[in-house]
Amino acid sequence: MFTWKKLGKVFTPQEVTHLPWLREFAQAPATLIFDDFVRVYFSCRPPADEQGKYVSYSAWVDLARHDLFQVLRFAREPILPLGGYGEFDEFGTYPVSVMRDNDVVKAWYAGWTRCESVPFNVAIGMAVSHDQGETFVKAGPGPAIGYSPDEPFVMSGPKIRRFNNQWQLFYIAGRKWKWVDGRAEPVYKIRMATSEDGINWTKLNKDLIPSRIEEDEAQASPDVFYANGKYHMFFCYRYSAHYRGKQNGYRIGYAWSLDMISWHRDDSKAGIDVSASGWDAEMISYPHVFELDGKIYMAYLGDQVGRYGFGLAQLEGTLC
Amino acid sequence: MLTLNWRKHGLIYSPSQFPPLANGVGFAQSPQALVFDDFVRIYFSTREREENSAKFISRVCYVDMDKSLREVLRISPEPVIAPAELGTFDEHGIFPCNVLRHEGKIMAWTTGWNRRVSVSVDTAIGLALSADNGEHFTRFGTGPVMGPSLHEPHLVGDAFVIHTRERFHMWYIFGTGWKKRTPDSAPDRIYKIAHAVSIDGINWQRDGRQIIPSVLGDDECQALPTVIEINGRYHMVFCFRECFDFRTGQGRGYRLGYAWSDDLHHWHRDDSQMSSLASVDDWDSEMQCYPHLFRCDEKVYLLYNGNAFGKAGFGLAEWVI
Repeated sequence: MFTWKKLGKVFTPQEVTHLPWLREFAQAPATLIFDDFVRVYFSCRPPADEQGKYVSYSAWVDLARHDLFQVLRFAREPILPLGGYGEFDEFGTYPVSVMRDNDVVKAWYAGWTRCESVPFNVAIGMAVSHDQGETFVKAGPGPAIGYSPDEPFVMSGPKIRRFNNQWQLFYIAGRKWKWVDGRAEPVYKIRMATSEDGINWTKLNKDLIPSRIEEDEAQASPDVFYANGKYHMFFCYRYSAHYRGKQNGYRIGYAWSLDMISWHRDDSKAGIDVSASGWDAEMISYPHVFELDGKIYMAYLGDQVGRYGFGLAQLEGTLC
Repeated sequence: MLTLNWRKHGLIYSPSQFPPLANGVGFAQSPQALVFDDFVRIYFSTREREENSAKFISRVCYVDMDKSLREVLRISPEPVIAPAELGTFDEHGIFPCNVLRHEGKIMAWTTGWNRRVSVSVDTAIGLALSADNGEHFTRFGTGPVMGPSLHEPHLVGDAFVIHTRERFHMWYIFGTGWKKRTPDSAPDRIYKIAHAVSIDGINWQRDGRQIIPSVLGDDECQALPTVIEINGRYHMVFCFRECFDFRTGQGRGYRLGYAWSDDLHHWHRDDSQMSSLASVDDWDSEMQCYPHLFRCDEKVYLLYNGNAFGKAGFGLAEWVI
């Protein structure tokens, strides 16, 4: 089992008062490392509208490289505008994952729309930054990777990677909508596509991670990190019903692979769980593992899927 | 080129005379033919009301007609495709359903509708297969084979597929934007005709461009392309309309357009080729839409809908060569 030492929460979105689009939530952290700071992309929300509905934006916070709990600055504006009428990202851009490619930074993000029979649908878009990830321009008004016969809806949670001169996109795809107490709840599984150019994608068309707690287990945040000859994936999973509390809510799981295609799930190795008390005592989710100055960190969300922010944990020992 | 001569046969199928659904509310839209040895099966989309919302759902049914296309032989006993699962792209109906016989298999490219909140609807193209001569179709998957993409952000639909020159060729439409006529209006959609090719009918490569120039300006809506090859030349009929006030506005609703191509890529638009279809005070005098070209016993026919988007049924014209 890995040992993660929890370091605490980085910032509390409710305490950031100068940005009207950042009132609650700091979800799905993803890092981009600079010489003297670490830029952490996250997704957040302004106050809900009269019907209680939220839109979500993505932005970043720069943390001092020598002290990740020192907040240097926030993005002045969200990195992407919401889409136009009928576009896939009209009601949200969440989450986002970034990767440097020569002089630019490329982002894959999930766009949210609202539907009639089910509450929402999600698709994965792409954007490019020419200013070191401060601002981004969408590659187009539509999604960058499409729905397909067995990935019919809720394509979300993109994580972009580049191993062995190939682009990999890990993401989730909806399997079914399930009626639970008069409410449609999505079930989704971890999937993968590969690309030579980052534009044209070939889907693997396979669930990467077997379900463990129930057939309709929902899986998210497939975060792949290479170390010591293996690919390590930390992800999160939850029950399909009544998952908004501690009992059935998100936990962090683990799997490893030698080829990124066959994965061996072993949640008992994950080494991180809810705390006895505090901001992450009910659920933990959306892990993101990164290496900085010889140490390995995990950024992750606490209660209510990051409503009160994300925290950091540091690995003691190695990933092997 | 000589102007095409269309001989009109009039309305050939009326859903009120031969109701396809016990609880139906009319409409026989987007007729699409599958020719058998001794009859012609014409698929169409007809409507029922959703139980809770009373909103329309389009279901695909068929009518079998004799080969002179005058006599109704049989109506499908039930819709040919089962209702869709919750949250899927075709949950709120299929319209149209394009059927092709290829190497002994019967394939259907469906346009699935799903309702949205900020705009009325989105669509995507699915694939369904029949193992019983077109009586029933089973979805190839719960998701689409062609949905929104980077530069085709919404309303991918109206597939029409032929197999020629060793490829499947699809003509279809994609949305270029939703526009409000006034700040208080509901958004109206704009869509254009495009083309894609495929080896297997499942994985499609899109050209990524509008192939038919607009004659009503950038906001012209183009729909339901249908293509037939005659002596090496490809002929396309489609329908087009204004973006706003197209349901009741005089002269703003659907009419039929025409284009031809010799290479399947460059199209020459010439709507005057449809002028012999014009009518006065008839079932198709206010609107003509959802065309479908097919060959039967060496004749070339055009099925199409008339006024009110095909509420009264569909009619037939014959291409007199």
